Amino acid sequence: MIVCVAVVGHQNNPLYIQSFTEADDALKLHHIVHSSLDVVDERVNNPRKSGPTLNETFLGLLYPTENYKVYGYLTNTKVKFILVTTDLDVRDADVRNFFRRFHAAYVDAVSNPFHVPGKKIISRTFADRVSTIVKSFGLSSAD
Amino acid sequence: MIGVSKMKPYTNVLDRPLSKGKLEVSLSAFAFLFSELVQYNQTQVDNIAELERRLEDAGYAVGARVLELLCHRDKGNRRETRLLGILSFVHSTVWKVLFGKVADSLEKGTEHDDEYMISEKELLVNRFISIPKDMGTFNCGAFVAGIVRGVLDSAGFPAIVTAHFVPMDGQQRPRTTILIKFAEEVLQREARLG
Repeated sequence: MIVCVAVVGHQNNPLYIQSFTEADDALKLHHIVHSSLDVVDERVNNPRKSGPTLNETFLGLLYPTENYKVYGYLTNTKVKFILVTTDLDVRDADVRNFFRRFHAAYVDAVSNPFHVPGKKIISRTFADRVSTIVKSFGLSSAD
Repeated sequence: MIGVSKMKPYTNVLDRPLSKGKLEVSLSAFAFLFSELVQYNQTQVDNIAELERRLEDAGYAVGARVLELLCHRDKGNRRETRLLGILSFVHSTVWKVLFGKVADSLEKGTEHDDEYMISEKELLVNRFISIPKDMGTFNCGAFVAGIVRGVLDSAGFPAIVTAHFVPMDGQQRPRTTILIKFAEEVLQREARLG
């Protein structure tokens, strides 16, 4: 079950944070997203030669914490997508697929001429598309 | 709607289905829109430098969005961290998407280390534009310079980009050169990466 998705700009400023459960404290999710940014920076600045090839977009599992798993994705403009989920068994392909669709929705939201780059994304279409993607993620990985 | 699309002869152009993107836009439509853009900005400003700056700002917004779009469409994309990498990306991929062909040439400046030039025999945006004598060295290629600056800035390579006319002997119309001057931090980072 996806708990939260976030879009963070290239100066680590939050552009869009949306949580999908009522139970959890929004502040705790903000904190988890914020601490995962450090892991992203570490992966980007110290490329591990034995790991995935340099400059990949999908960063994979950033770190597991309490009962959450955090996945990261980095675009060419240093915009980061963070995904927080409570699923225990999540297939890699599913997460990649999720990020691909999320990236498509993000590109559409940014192409809006009324969107100011660096400010929060306030497009309602983007919010609707993200909820649709999140809902279908839960269904597809439930085999 | 997935299926075979039949090209019925539509009487009214408004009835035609929308193109799926990645197709071409008519040059005359773009030229008309661009001329209106230039004229609108001309009524708002008093001098040429301000007009160039406004065109460049318009181009900057386009450049930022083009980078996001291209990186998403290009399936096996890698993030560019090297100077030559991002320059060749601008020179071929961006030019191909925007103007349908790669730029004519990419050169390294001789005087300074941080200058690079992309030149084009005739910029698409300048094709139907002639500059009156009293405007001096104004070049509507400032719009394209803005696009390049938007792409470089969003990719993490801050630079100052300007457009210049370079007269060529043997040709009537001068060649257009986009001059890219990278910021100090870009060169330092490049030297560090070795």
